[in-house]
Amino acid sequence: MKKTLAIVLALVMVLALAACNGTKPDQPVTPDQPDQPSGELAGTYDVKVWCADNIVDLTKKQIEDFNANNEFGITFNATVEPVGEGDAATQMITDVEAGGDIFCFAQDQFARLVQAGALAKLGEGAANIVKDQNVPDSVNAVTVGTDLYAYPLTADNGYFMYYDKSVIPEEDIGSVEKLIADCEAAQKYFSMENETSAWYIASWFFGTGCVSEWNLAEDGVNFESVHDTFNSPEGLIAVKGMKKLLDSPYYTSASDVAGFSSNCAIVVSGTWGYTTAAAALGDNLGAAPMPSFEVDGQTYHMGSFNGYKLMGVKPQTDATKAAALHRLAQYLTSEQGQLERFDAVAWGPSNTVALANEKVQANPAIAAVVAQGAYATPQGQIHGSWWDIAKVIGTDVKEAKDEAGLQAALDNYYNAISALFTMSDAEKNAWGVIGTCNSTDGFFFTDYQDETRSNWAEDLPMEEVEPGVFRTTQAWDMEEGVEFKVRQGASWDNAFPADNFKVETAGTYYVQLVVETGEVTLVPAE
Amino acid sequence: MMTKDTSMKKHMGMRAANAISNTVIHIVLAVIAVIWLLPFVFIVLQSFRVENTWQVGYVIPKQWGFANYKNLLYDATKGWFGTPFAKWYLNTFITALVTAVLQTVFVLCMSYTLSRFRFKMRKALMQFMLILGMFPGMLTMIILYRVLKDLGLTQENAVPGLILVYVASSGMGYYVSKGFFDTIPKSLDEAARIDGANRAQVLWKIILPLAKPIVIYTVLTAFMAPWGDFVFARYISFGSQAGMNVAVGMWNWLQLDQIGQKYTMFCAGGVVVAIPVVILFLCLQRYYVEGVTGGAVKG
Repeated sequence: MKKTLAIVLALVMVLALAACNGTKPDQPVTPDQPDQPSGELAGTYDVKVWCADNIVDLTKKQIEDFNANNEFGITFNATVEPVGEGDAATQMITDVEAGGDIFCFAQDQFARLVQAGALAKLGEGAANIVKDQNVPDSVNAVTVGTDLYAYPLTADNGYFMYYDKSVIPEEDIGSVEKLIADCEAAQKYFSMENETSAWYIASWFFGTGCVSEWNLAEDGVNFESVHDTFNSPEGLIAVKGMKKLLDSPYYTSASDVAGFSSNCAIVVSGTWGYTTAAAALGDNLGAAPMPSFEVDGQTYHMGSFNGYKLMGVKPQTDATKAAALHRLAQYLTSEQGQLERFDAVAWGPSNTVALANEKVQANPAIAAVVAQGAYATPQGQIHGSWWDIAKVIGTDVKEAKDEAGLQAALDNYYNAISALFTMSDAEKNAWGVIGTCNSTDGFFFTDYQDETRSNWAEDLPMEEVEPGVFRTTQAWDMEEGVEFKVRQGASWDNAFPADNFKVETAGTYYVQLVVETGEVTLVPAE
Repeated sequence: MMTKDTSMKKHMGMRAANAISNTVIHIVLAVIAVIWLLPFVFIVLQSFRVENTWQVGYVIPKQWGFANYKNLLYDATKGWFGTPFAKWYLNTFITALVTAVLQTVFVLCMSYTLSRFRFKMRKALMQFMLILGMFPGMLTMIILYRVLKDLGLTQENAVPGLILVYVASSGMGYYVSKGFFDTIPKSLDEAARIDGANRAQVLWKIILPLAKPIVIYTVLTAFMAPWGDFVFARYISFGSQAGMNVAVGMWNWLQLDQIGQKYTMFCAGGVVVAIPVVILFLCLQRYYVEGVTGGAVKG
């Protein structure tokens, strides 16, 4: 009897706990933010705002200003929590429901946040305001398809080079080789985060014209394809340039400007480091665009990512509150809001009027990031995994002993990227030809020098002509000396021949593979 | 004579050998001690560095001062103890203290029960707990977060939530103290029972005074775990400063946008965090060693 009673009691307690859970809505629905007529917005709202620690006080003040001055009769009862922009997406995705109603984040997290449903779409009116007032690239950064999902907050999230004027002569700042020599002569370090951050590694590749463009599918959520040319002759040039720096005894992989206090002469970093760098070096601090590097007699100006800090609004269950939140986000990212932030913490504005402001233009770090802008690639939507895949290139290149090692680093990268897109069984089983200078528009191998094509980047289709025998769907012109392999499913698990196939006599050929034996032959076209 | 001579020689040889081996051992120990102490010395020195606030390449500060410590606890607008750090410290202290008390009570009750009582399924229960204990606690993290969130014990209310998490399974950590209790002769219990003591009195009046080292050991370990916890604490405080403990709060200072301003404060914070633990250990050290080894021997 006693036992039964105990069991019943225990059950009751468990149920009581479970009941607490029952009544809550699970996930906020995502309403299409309607632009509410202003009168209906009046009211008091509790909101949670996440922003970087150093603008918490400023943001509190700005929200108070908004409360005092807005024409809609909105009053926000705001809790402002410091959550770093680098960490915002991880935190939001952990629990969207409990996350900040308005939050700031770095652009590289945009895709993840859209995927997680943590960003509310902007209404038409809000979208037009954003488009009118901000730098075009920053608008692209918040766009998926035709819809906007966030407000640009800064346009200074790019990197450039800080240097110590007492060590580096003015005339050397344009050349990686001279900079390395200067650093080695002075026994001071050249600091660039090439071994742990894809963001910085990309600089070398963009310098030689490589691209990595990711395309979102219609749903705006998943990626459907990528156009990536890091694994190409240009990519090989890029890693050769990178190798020069990585092999220097006075190279260190870091992006912290505090390095100036510990024997660094050059640090590649961004505007966020300006205050610290200026305090460390004083008048000796110089800021310049990225330098150029030289491979085989040609010079390449290093590129960079141009990124943005963004402000997002979380989807709300209450449409009125959502509309009010959008008003606040607009206010915080307006010209005035951005200038106030520049005054307080020197963040470079994305608002075109604010960016043209004299005092903004006078800041050397912002001047450098603007100058580097000519060589910068706007950071579009990039698959979240890319950052982890690409950062490995740095360590691979450092360990590489020769050119083959460098090529292997690129191959590893390429395979990992390819693996991101799950293929259908038909695609996995299909055979294709890949080699020096493939392209899909008619020529094969002949125009080796054409920059718009990339080697070893695309598989030419093959069809099964008889059981176990595959042949290219058309004949291709091939020059003497071109190399290729036949592989299955765009991966290297099954590829023939073991060493690259080399064309000995120029001609127009079909490529044929006998799967059983792995024998690859050229079949002349009639 | 011959024999004496050789024995003398041997004796001298041994002494010399002893001296050499002692020197070597001392040198090795000294090197290990230096290596071991270096990070602590480094942190303490950095915490007194006031000429700038970011990482530098030298160890000895150029200017000494208490500014970092002051900044930890003094806020320009809110006055003393108005800083987030003070709040985190308080959070951590409350969590650790309450956990230490509750966990100790649970563990001791559990150990006493399993050591002195014989009841049905006792062995099975012990085996069950042994197996349960083999699952890493991290596995339950996400589900615990959901449960705590639905109870309203996350974010700014993280402190009671964390206490619940730390204390909940503490009864399973009874092994060491049960081992110790087993070494106390049962005849003492029996004598007390004959003299009219009940079970509770036996525990309080007989067993516990004899088991002081193990009690201290339990308190110490129960205090230390929440004091240094990061993973659970970060998950459960989730973006709310008011609910963070010291480790989570200070972790934020090492982020890209803050490390330049907060690095020396971080070091000062590290020192301040260590203080109560150091005091606790200094006071209870002799019991601690006894406790750890005492539980391992079955007499």
